[in-house]
Amino acid sequence: MAVDSVSFAAHPGEIFGLLGPNGAGKTTTIGCISGLLTPSAGRVKVMGHDVVREGTAARAKLGVVPQEIALYEDLSAHENLAYWGGAQGMRNSRLRERIQQVLELTGLQDRTREPVKQFSGGMKRRLNFACGILHSPKVLLLDEPTVGVDPQSRVRLLDLVRGEARSGTCVLYTTHYMEEAEALCDHLAIMDHGKVIAAGTLAELRSMLGERDLLRLTGVFAPQSARAAMQQMDAEILQVDESLLLLSLAGASQKLPAIFAALAGVGADVRGTTLTQPSLESLFIKLTGKELRE
Amino acid sequence: MPFLLAAIKKDLRRLGRDPLALAISFGIPLVIVTLITLVFGGGQSAPQGRLLVADEDGTLLSQALTSAFSREPLSKMLVLETTGREEGRRRMDRGDASALLIVPKGFQEAFLQNQPAQLQLVTNPAQEILPNIVEETLSIVVDGGFYLQRQAAIPLRAIAAEKTPSDDTVARVSVALNRLGRSLTKYLNPPLIDLELHVAAAKRENQNVAALFLPAMLFMGLLFVANAHALDIWKEQSWGTLRRLATTPVSMGALLGGRVISLAVILSGLALVGVAGMRWFAHVAVASVSLATLWVVLSGTAFYLFLVTIAVHAPGPRAANVIGNLVVFPLSLVGGSFFPFEMMPDWMASIGRLTPNGWAVTEFKAFVAGSAHMQDLLAGAAFMAAVGTLLFLWTSRRMRKLV
Repeated sequence: MAVDSVSFAAHPGEIFGLLGPNGAGKTTTIGCISGLLTPSAGRVKVMGHDVVREGTAARAKLGVVPQEIALYEDLSAHENLAYWGGAQGMRNSRLRERIQQVLELTGLQDRTREPVKQFSGGMKRRLNFACGILHSPKVLLLDEPTVGVDPQSRVRLLDLVRGEARSGTCVLYTTHYMEEAEALCDHLAIMDHGKVIAAGTLAELRSMLGERDLLRLTGVFAPQSARAAMQQMDAEILQVDESLLLLSLAGASQKLPAIFAALAGVGADVRGTTLTQPSLESLFIKLTGKELRE
Repeated sequence: MPFLLAAIKKDLRRLGRDPLALAISFGIPLVIVTLITLVFGGGQSAPQGRLLVADEDGTLLSQALTSAFSREPLSKMLVLETTGREEGRRRMDRGDASALLIVPKGFQEAFLQNQPAQLQLVTNPAQEILPNIVEETLSIVVDGGFYLQRQAAIPLRAIAAEKTPSDDTVARVSVALNRLGRSLTKYLNPPLIDLELHVAAAKRENQNVAALFLPAMLFMGLLFVANAHALDIWKEQSWGTLRRLATTPVSMGALLGGRVISLAVILSGLALVGVAGMRWFAHVAVASVSLATLWVVLSGTAFYLFLVTIAVHAPGPRAANVIGNLVVFPLSLVGGSFFPFEMMPDWMASIGRLTPNGWAVTEFKAFVAGSAHMQDLLAGAAFMAAVGTLLFLWTSRRMRKLV
């Protein structure tokens, strides 16, 4: 099962982030919402329309920006937009005006007649985005839209996403970049192995971690004696084995000398240290015992 | 409707931006036909045709009549094939032969009794040389029969009077004919008229070869274009546009509809050029350019639906390509799109006419020859529409699986 008991609600004007590593089930979730996949159980509603029973009505409210660029390479930007606008029932002056708007919005107004195959990766990403927002959808699904995008285009794309939310669109944004999620999303659901393992606002999620830092030590450890040594340090042991010791503790930077001394006392050989301040990354590590990008 | 128009525009633009693919699709058949024309039409060899004989009399005289066509030099030009009256007419309608000769029942009896008898000769208007040769030959034989009747009426009637002629009668008739022959020797040997037969100039032969091969070329090109357009669905799949379309309110049927209509538009242009080219450049007698063009467009569209149905069932683009070619090339070979049926053994031509393209090219020749009319086009279109609708619905459903 790709996703299991995933449940959340996103509202107009907010950016809802689905955060998780590759294979966590984010794209499957998007597939169920967009009607590409039929869920074996449960219901998905878009603006009150059930995506299975009222698929056409639900899809009319949706704008989808797929993870892979989905454009006709042999057509121009303008022609691609005209085609995808037609797929959303747009025509005549409304279509022409909106094409002009989104081309300006995405900074492609000077390259409208060039075949897409001559575009850079970033330009294709922007056009891919433009095709998704052309019909001013009520719900916008963005599936990892910044993968493989240069930093300049990424900033521009994130600004565009914020702009869509400001205009009242409900944005569902999937990513495995925490910093993007932290910078962009009002609400977040963290997924792993097809399940939502944590959900809430950024503040709520941070509070789950407390003010405790995450300390990751690599080297050679005897798990039993390392566990005993750390109990003296007021540290929560998240994970320990022969090569890794993962701790959650407050004021970790001040306690580092004492930790090293305690571990040396039980014969441990510390070769690497990573200290992470409270973040979505550290929350993910705390919840799953692994890094987001693993 | 806005999407259908958008889809048609999109496909027309894409097809128009790749003229090389279209040129190649029609270029390959052109090269093949040119080569075959050079091989078969460039020398001084006599043209080959087929004479259908429906001998309903089945007598000595009717056999003597038809045997005139199985002697040299005609035997080098014509293959005689016995058939029934109705079957012969059907085959002539399909443009299968150069001519059909019907010898009615009672022909010998009427000839011997000096009564009127009517031979029927149906010729193929799409061919120029062979039907004329058959007509001229028959005319000469009939004239010969008239003079034989005049000069040898009495002995011939003697034979006709008896159901089973006696030895005496046969001997009397033989003596009479021998005397008649000797009396004519001074006219016949040496011949007073020395007739030298020349096969028509190479230009006319080429015209005949063009009539034979151009329909084949046109339909081979149609198959290639339809197959290329069918395989393009996998390009949409790899570009992710098919998947993206599935997230919009429109159906896959609308996309397929746009593809079908845009192909029909392109084929209209190509068909018009092809048929007009046959008529005005290759000088093939085309009875109705409009009907023949319409038939090409309908056939090409039906081929597309047939081939796209196959393409969407392939496990991937490479397999689709291989399977598409495995279907198109044998169909071209057997279905008269590579070698015309007239050049095939009878058994193979019979099988070939049952293939979709074989049926279509046979009907096309009938439109070219003028033996098929608007009602035939409507009947064929209705049949193709029925099959095409089924394929369309099935393929639309199946396309969902490609997303």
